[in-house]
Amino acid sequence: MHSYVRPHQYVALRLPSEFTKIQKIEPDSTVFLGKFGSFPTNQIIGRPFYLTFEILDNSDENGNCLRVIPAAELHAETLIAEGEGDGDEVEVNEDGTPVRTNRETVDDASTQKLTVEEIEALKKECGGAGREIIAKLLESHSALDQKTTFSLAKYMLRKRRKYMKRFTVLPLDVSILMNHMMEDKDAAKIMEMRDESMGLLGCMGNVHHGGNLSLDEALAVKPNGRYLVVDDTGGLVVAAMAERMGILYPHDGEEYEEQVSSEQPKTDEADQTQNDEHPAADSTSKRPLRGQMPAPQNSITLLHPNKQANLSLLKYFGFSQDSLDDSHPLSRHLKTVSWLQLLDPSSDPIYSQEPEILSEEELFAMKSNKRGTYYRKRTRWARAQSVVNEARAGEFDGLIVATLMDPTSVLKHTVPLLSGSAHVSVYAPSIEPLTELMDLYSTQRRTAYINRRQLLREQKLQDSEQNNASENEPQDSEFPELLEEFTLDPTLLLVPTIETSRVRPWQVLPGRTHPMMSLRGGAEGYIFHAIRVIPTQQIIQAAGNPGRKKRKVVTQQTSTPADSASGVDVEMKS
Amino acid sequence: MPSPFLNPGPQSKLDSLALLQLRRDLTIPTILQLQDDQDQGYKEGKVTNTRFGSFPHSTLHDQPWGSQIIASKVDTGSRGRIQSKGKRKADELYSSTAAEDANKSSPQVPVAASSGFLHILYPTPELWTASLPHRTQVVYTPDYSYILHRLRARPGCTVIEAGAGSGSFTHASVRAVFNGYPTAESPAKKKKMGKVCSFEFHEQRAGKIRDEVKQHGLEDLVEVTHRDVYEDGFLLGDPKTGKSPKANAIFLDLPAPWLALKHLVRNPPSGAESPLDPSSPVYICTFSPCLEQVQRTISTLRQLSWLQISMVEVNHRRIEVKRERVGLDYEGARGTVVFPKSVEEAVERTRTVEARSQRFREIQNQDDDETTPAPKAANETPARQDPEVPVYEQGRLMHRSEIDLKNHTSYLVFAVLPRDWTEEDEQRCREKWPSNMVREPRGAPKGKRQMKREEKERRKQEGQPKEEEKQPNTEP
Repeated sequence: MHSYVRPHQYVALRLPSEFTKIQKIEPDSTVFLGKFGSFPTNQIIGRPFYLTFEILDNSDENGNCLRVIPAAELHAETLIAEGEGDGDEVEVNEDGTPVRTNRETVDDASTQKLTVEEIEALKKECGGAGREIIAKLLESHSALDQKTTFSLAKYMLRKRRKYMKRFTVLPLDVSILMNHMMEDKDAAKIMEMRDESMGLLGCMGNVHHGGNLSLDEALAVKPNGRYLVVDDTGGLVVAAMAERMGILYPHDGEEYEEQVSSEQPKTDEADQTQNDEHPAADSTSKRPLRGQMPAPQNSITLLHPNKQANLSLLKYFGFSQDSLDDSHPLSRHLKTVSWLQLLDPSSDPIYSQEPEILSEEELFAMKSNKRGTYYRKRTRWARAQSVVNEARAGEFDGLIVATLMDPTSVLKHTVPLLSGSAHVSVYAPSIEPLTELMDLYSTQRRTAYINRRQLLREQKLQDSEQNNASENEPQDSEFPELLEEFTLDPTLLLVPTIETSRVRPWQVLPGRTHPMMSLRGGAEGYIFHAIRVIPTQQIIQAAGNPGRKKRKVVTQQTSTPADSASGVDVEMKS
Repeated sequence: MPSPFLNPGPQSKLDSLALLQLRRDLTIPTILQLQDDQDQGYKEGKVTNTRFGSFPHSTLHDQPWGSQIIASKVDTGSRGRIQSKGKRKADELYSSTAAEDANKSSPQVPVAASSGFLHILYPTPELWTASLPHRTQVVYTPDYSYILHRLRARPGCTVIEAGAGSGSFTHASVRAVFNGYPTAESPAKKKKMGKVCSFEFHEQRAGKIRDEVKQHGLEDLVEVTHRDVYEDGFLLGDPKTGKSPKANAIFLDLPAPWLALKHLVRNPPSGAESPLDPSSPVYICTFSPCLEQVQRTISTLRQLSWLQISMVEVNHRRIEVKRERVGLDYEGARGTVVFPKSVEEAVERTRTVEARSQRFREIQNQDDDETTPAPKAANETPARQDPEVPVYEQGRLMHRSEIDLKNHTSYLVFAVLPRDWTEEDEQRCREKWPSNMVREPRGAPKGKRQMKREEKERRKQEGQPKEEEKQPNTEP
């Protein structure tokens, strides 16, 4: 997938301090890494990802100042330790006590004989990408021999983070962006979402590529892979879902081509890199601007609260909403609909006010930029019409929610838009909004809802018989008092569940394996999920194990119709 | 036929997998069929019997997915008699033909029962994982969702899975990499199609997986190989000369993953083809329950030049939510705790009790001789809680972890193997991208419009000093 660093692409640079820096790689420019140095971008373009480079102090005659650090060198210390059998056991005296403990160590800074000024001077004159400094520091540490293996390792690590001039080039994908936002940026912006929550959110929502069934074939039944997304994380959830659906990376799928060519003399590859240099320019010249209508399948419909959706994080994947270039897969597969457009499209000017159609002659008489505006307006209107109508027609294959709003209000309006058996998956940083949601879908509520609806229906039928009115079966929407009491229809979702998942990282080193000492706290991250079902309108009773005697006190709960989602066996009525 | 996992269509179809959801954590997978292969002799054709009633498949097919289906009245009794008759030798021939006759005649139209129902759902890896027939330890959703996310298993990838086991990871990974069914007519198409290569050394299990994959319409997307991967590696077909799967991601659920790692290298010493995709980084995950396994695996990974090695465990909890009703006025109601809900209520209660006994004592003292029983206190039964509050809103909303927790599933080891990068590759790259070429910010080829836009952006950024993202990317 991410086979090499492409020009004009965003990448993540991992620094020795564990900090990741996101950088757009423009050819023929320089990247500055603060105290770790700087390097020209041309020296990483075309190179594979996950390589670690060392910034050399003196570049060679061609100006090369980067050296790829081989894996063996990166693992050297551990490999040596393993080879020596060191660390497997703590060295012990004859009486079984460890040789080195921290009993004797002096807890002050006097053990380091170098002064701050001397270290600063060293930094200036020392080369070797920081290794020499570390060696000097170790030499001049008076109590080094007293250190236990553990504290020595810790000391080395600390110094390495501070002085090594290294960086690793990582492909900027959703996981790396997410971790970068969590660790180095404002975690609240992405609702403190972690890898494990995102993985679970996508799986529980059953989000996947819609497949390649031909459109006629698919449309005969229904288009595949249409997902409804509510995302208040600035586009991160959209990106993650697009990643799962194969519509996030503009160069996806081209690798195969490259694979074929890699079997031939490898020069092809270099040529290909050249072709990739200005992919945007090529495609815009071929295609009309924003002329394409949105794709019917394998698409994301994003519901957003403002006039325009906030998708700022998608810029890292080369997608911008305002861009005129529609070579990016998302420009066809991502549709944005505001809540206003969904619930009350007639009040939205973009949707409801059709720009006047002008005749050919009128257009011909126009100035070219005015003509452009005219076409843009027409396209925008047509797009809004198609996207909004499609969203309002519903039959979505899944609902993914990560929102700052009350999830109840979101589900109230979106669950009816799902097709049967579609999965609903809601992320919340803390549990309270989700427990409220669970409560609204509780068994008791569902039972009460069904009973109440039945009551209202019978009343209505009686009324209509008296008035000789229409004999249509009344719909739920005809009972505003139902929604007033229950907020939303609790019969539409099956097996509502809340879960939470948290990953615990470990350090695995010879003789020093343990869970990481410290971890980021903050929001725990919870996922609510459920399945959309189509309840029967008939009254049926749940069957179950008869036998337990019914207590007299439960009078409110006369019957338990249509109620399978309860965790407990439902009693049979005798 | 498209797989019901990936393209279920709008309604349930015959001869295709459907899940019958009875209640939480009770889902029955079944292939919908009108006729019963096993010939169980129901008048209605194939019937699934559950504790919530009997469901002839004629009531289940061609229903919109997610429908609630009502149980039918199925005569299970007389069928039993026919079968037991069939066991008698003399009648064997007769009864079997009778059953065939019954099958040939169109199945009887089922009659709805008065109680019992289920929901018919299309299969997903999650529901399948929860309902599949266990053959080995299963990789559950919290683990595989995280693993696939970390493995970057995306549409178009090829995943190697060793130790197919019960097939839960197989189904999850095929959904992750799926980007269409390979079509025969366009093999020259350049798009790489997602695929799962599954290896299993237990012959019977491998066969079961193969059958399952076929039944689920995934046979074009999953290639099952019966193989001991420690010995014979990961090439498809023949272990030595077979085709390379060109994997982008690897999942090893084996007792000794370190023994399989020697085959997962860029240039195998044996000279065989590498099973890895030469044009992309390769991600690996091993799944081992014990720490010792992890240590050996990681040690081998280091020796084989894997990078970014990390180990984690996934802690997952399901949360129960319910209303907890505490109070003295719940006396007699089910699922409640009869205990004072507050200090006030406790004091009030004690006061009433005290007052009552006081009165009782007074009466006793006054009418020492009389034997009349103490009069019942008027306020002995406390007023029930406000009758306006319906039962589903009473009490306080509480959440807690479910009772049975999976405290440990396995340790997950992740690592990445970058592409091979030779000296020649580096030289070529240097020729193409001259190392010391650093241009001043480009000004010449900019169009008018672009200039304007950039100007606007700069102004915007100056207006918003929050944007700390921007870094100078040119030489000062």
